[in-house]
Amino acid sequence: MNWIGLYTLIRREVERTFAVVIQTLVAPLISATLYLFIFGVVIGSRIEDFAGVPFISFVFPGVLLLSIINASFASASSGLYFMRFSRAIEELLIAPLSYFEMLIGFVGSAVARALIVGTLILGVGVLFGAVTLVDPFGFFFYVTAIAAIFAMLGIIVALWAEDFEQLQVLNTFVITPLTYLGGIFYSITFLPELAATITRANPFFYFADGIRSSMIGYSEADTAVGLVIILGLVVGLGVLVTELFRRGWKIRG
Amino acid sequence: MSEYILKIKNLTKVYRDRKQEKLAVNDISLSVRRGSFFGLLGPNGAGKSTTIHCITGIAQPTSGTITIDGVDVVKDYKLARTKVGLSPQEFNVNIFNTTEQLMDYMGGYYGIKKAARKAKIDQLVERFDLTEHRQVVFQRLSGGLKRRAILGRALIHTPDLLILDEPTAGVDVEQRHDLWGYLRELNEMGKTIILTSHYLEEIQALCDDIAIINRGQIVAHGTKAEFMKDGKSVEEAYLEITRAANNNSAV
Repeated sequence: MNWIGLYTLIRREVERTFAVVIQTLVAPLISATLYLFIFGVVIGSRIEDFAGVPFISFVFPGVLLLSIINASFASASSGLYFMRFSRAIEELLIAPLSYFEMLIGFVGSAVARALIVGTLILGVGVLFGAVTLVDPFGFFFYVTAIAAIFAMLGIIVALWAEDFEQLQVLNTFVITPLTYLGGIFYSITFLPELAATITRANPFFYFADGIRSSMIGYSEADTAVGLVIILGLVVGLGVLVTELFRRGWKIRG
Repeated sequence: MSEYILKIKNLTKVYRDRKQEKLAVNDISLSVRRGSFFGLLGPNGAGKSTTIHCITGIAQPTSGTITIDGVDVVKDYKLARTKVGLSPQEFNVNIFNTTEQLMDYMGGYYGIKKAARKAKIDQLVERFDLTEHRQVVFQRLSGGLKRRAILGRALIHTPDLLILDEPTAGVDVEQRHDLWGYLRELNEMGKTIILTSHYLEEIQALCDDIAIINRGQIVAHGTKAEFMKDGKSVEEAYLEITRAANNNSAV
């Protein structure tokens, strides 16, 4: 294993994150603060406790999930697409990095950015009194695994896209709608039965539920199903991205 | 240790997309002597860059084998890549990185530890007169400085084989001669260098061995002396060979 090579890939992305802090850190921080203020303070103050916690604590895991998804997806998709666009990807193609190491490097970079953003938003959550953590290990697992899933989706989009507009297609038409409809800001008990059933078929529901259950100890999903979906996506996308790198799809020749 | 550092056997490269196939390199075989300064010539689109891409890992051969120091570039690609450095024709860099970052990241990808990386960067920056430009972002460097920064990046892991694809394109005469000095020095230190260039006086001034590639095939290969027999310059020999090859393919 080329550990120094892997570390360099991740270090480069972390340095890029801190080189453009307004875009990478300040923007998600402002969004999260506004969500917490509006849903937690303005609206939440008029809503009774839900699932044994104040409404702001119920909403906070959704805000965190949204930020983690965006940070991870943006890091991987924009980072790799820019490397393709500028041909800087050739630096990696000629370097002694295996395809699996390239996968770990890009995913690790995106997860690192997601964790930095997530930590800052946890800090904001603490200031709002919105943070509880009943299962820290479970929380870390869900955050890391979900960030990895969206990093790999970001890689696939970055390889597929032929221009900057295509880079936004998956995010605009799939990720954003499924995220908001996955129960990140509400309980599915608020929904009619049919809508609740449909929501259970949305993988984003299990992402939100996993983080929420590890934070406030309240779950509406079957944990086993959620774990199968999350681990299945991590492994499946990992195999797919490694194969795409091995074939050099859109990056080699 | 083999006399040849690079051996290419029956290399073919076909680029495919949904609509068409393009045969870029057609069954070429070539060997490069260890320690030599090797000129790879050919018109635009002849297959020079494709051959280089297959050697370095930017492209995968469709068929055939390439070994560097006996190491197969496909089967044992990680080891093979440690043996070769590339200064590409087009600047394949993040233009927002500084000269130092370019070398530092590349050294990291090659698995070089921080202290060794720093020492090597210090050495390269000094050797290529980049000290004042060490912290300058790539896009703000002049053409000649960019070429030197890229050359430094190619040497960060001390490769045995250095491939320079049009290293003096867009560089003024004075800086081109400076680069020639660097390259001669590297070759005298034992590096094998493969050079492609459209400046044939550059090939004549620097190279010991020459191969000409035309329409994806090697049409001539020999020592510089063999190319320059009968008092011809490399340019005259090149034109004669490529015209004859074009006429043959037209027939």
